[in-house]
Amino acid sequence: MRNIAEIYKREIKFYFTTPIAYVVMVIFTAIFGFLFYRNMIYYSNVSYQLMQNPAYATHIDLIIGIFSPLFSTNTIIFLLVIPPISMRLFAEEKKSGTIELLFTYPIRDIEIVLGKWLAAVTIVFLMLLLTVPAPFLAFSFAKSAEWGPVLSGYLGMFLMGVSFLSLGVLISALSENQIVAVIISYGALLGFWFLGWAVDPNSGKAIGKVFGELSIITHVNDFIKGLIDTKNIAYYVLFIFTMVFLTLRVLESKRWRG
Amino acid sequence: MIKIENVTKMYGQTLAVKNISFEVGKGEILGFLGPNGAGKTTTMRIITGYFPPTNGDVFVDKYSVLDQPLEVKKRIGYVPENPSMYKDMKVREYIRFIGAIKGVPKSKLKENLEKTLSECALEGVANKMIGELSKGYRQRVALGQALVNDPPVLILDEPTSGLDPKQIFEIRQLIKSMSGERTIILSTHILPEVSMTCDKVVIINEGQIVAQDTVDNIGRSISGSYQLEMTIDGNPEDVVEIFYQIPGILRVDNEKNIYIIDVEKDKDIRAELARKVVEKGFGLLEFKPRMLSLEEVFLKLVTEEEGVNAS
Repeated sequence: MRNIAEIYKREIKFYFTTPIAYVVMVIFTAIFGFLFYRNMIYYSNVSYQLMQNPAYATHIDLIIGIFSPLFSTNTIIFLLVIPPISMRLFAEEKKSGTIELLFTYPIRDIEIVLGKWLAAVTIVFLMLLLTVPAPFLAFSFAKSAEWGPVLSGYLGMFLMGVSFLSLGVLISALSENQIVAVIISYGALLGFWFLGWAVDPNSGKAIGKVFGELSIITHVNDFIKGLIDTKNIAYYVLFIFTMVFLTLRVLESKRWRG
Repeated sequence: MIKIENVTKMYGQTLAVKNISFEVGKGEILGFLGPNGAGKTTTMRIITGYFPPTNGDVFVDKYSVLDQPLEVKKRIGYVPENPSMYKDMKVREYIRFIGAIKGVPKSKLKENLEKTLSECALEGVANKMIGELSKGYRQRVALGQALVNDPPVLILDEPTSGLDPKQIFEIRQLIKSMSGERTIILSTHILPEVSMTCDKVVIINEGQIVAQDTVDNIGRSISGSYQLEMTIDGNPEDVVEIFYQIPGILRVDNEKNIYIIDVEKDKDIRAELARKVVEKGFGLLEFKPRMLSLEEVFLKLVTEEEGVNAS
């Protein structure tokens, strides 16, 4: 535990002594904030028009009007900003050679991987934390706050973000070059994304359903709607576990091959 | 303390180290010699547990590097050639961090840190970033990270390469001051370094051990002969005559009246030689065994090897 904590502290410190964490957080919050602002304006226009026709007004609320589209768009923003967080974790150590000493210390591979992974997870968590003023602001205009679906959306965002991140960690362990790592991460994430489109899930074919279920995006939709389904949680947890496990294996095989 | 048993390492199809075995006793300093690319770094990386051998095993203090790598790693301080350290960390912060992940108990960490900083003369730069330091200081930081948990074994891979003469001197002093109880393996291709600091030598070439012995013995034991040096008063042409009468003499070189005589390894002809010289009426001015210098041994071994391979 102590080793994980030490590695974690070092990585966190690195994120904040170099510009990486600040740049990623500022850009992410700016985009998220702008989208939130646009959705608010749009929602207020729509609701103003719906006031003319009260029969429709019951069909719209803050979740459908603002947060569902916001979280949906956020999947794309995450796709863009998360690989830069994970790309350096191993690639940099291999490139600069610091991994040589790290591998000769009395510390287990899993402690190295978990320490680094937790540090990156913390950055994703902080990114989401920075957006929390958005629902507070939105609900301050509403008669009643509907926190349930928002929290479910946040849980979905966090699980998806950490999944993106874990895939990036694996690729960072495979590569020595950070640029290559980040580009392959984009490619792999888009690949997992497009899996859902590979075969039409409504075609009735079993393969379509399988591909749909494997896609990294389809599972977040229920969270965004406010539905927490164990199936979806299981998907992300399993995805994350697999990526971390493969990272360990990659490090191990690198050692054996010298 | 350290036992290397039949270690072989392949990188894919390339053989880096072939069937190497040697032992280092507690408190000894072993010089690990060889030309560049001979397999020194590979061997050292195997000992430190950086990667496992393809065949064979290494034992440090009875612990196998294959079965109990963590126990082995706890006992070793390693300074790689051109050590890469986290450039974005300050010296003090870095050594503290390494101490912690090497398992120095929290209560002792501060004490060990301060001791290491003073031992390696790093107090002056303790709050500087590692990336800002000169190569000499960086080498000290590398020694510091190796020493911070006070390990009984030190593995130093060309610790003085790339340093200026003053820094080389300082690092050597530092290594000497670190010895004592510690077992040290030091690789180098600078030969005087070995005769200055080491008790034992292992010479490696093209992945194989070509000689191992104490620094004093190595000249005699590895070549098939030993050398005597005589200073004889008399006409060289007549003096040389004597040598041909004695069996066991392989070769004689002379420069004026100083004669260098190669003698077969297990023959002791000193008494006979002295008697013959005196019987013939020459003046025997000086008579001593001649040590091959480490350079000669090294060159001889390495070039012999090449000769064998060429044929």
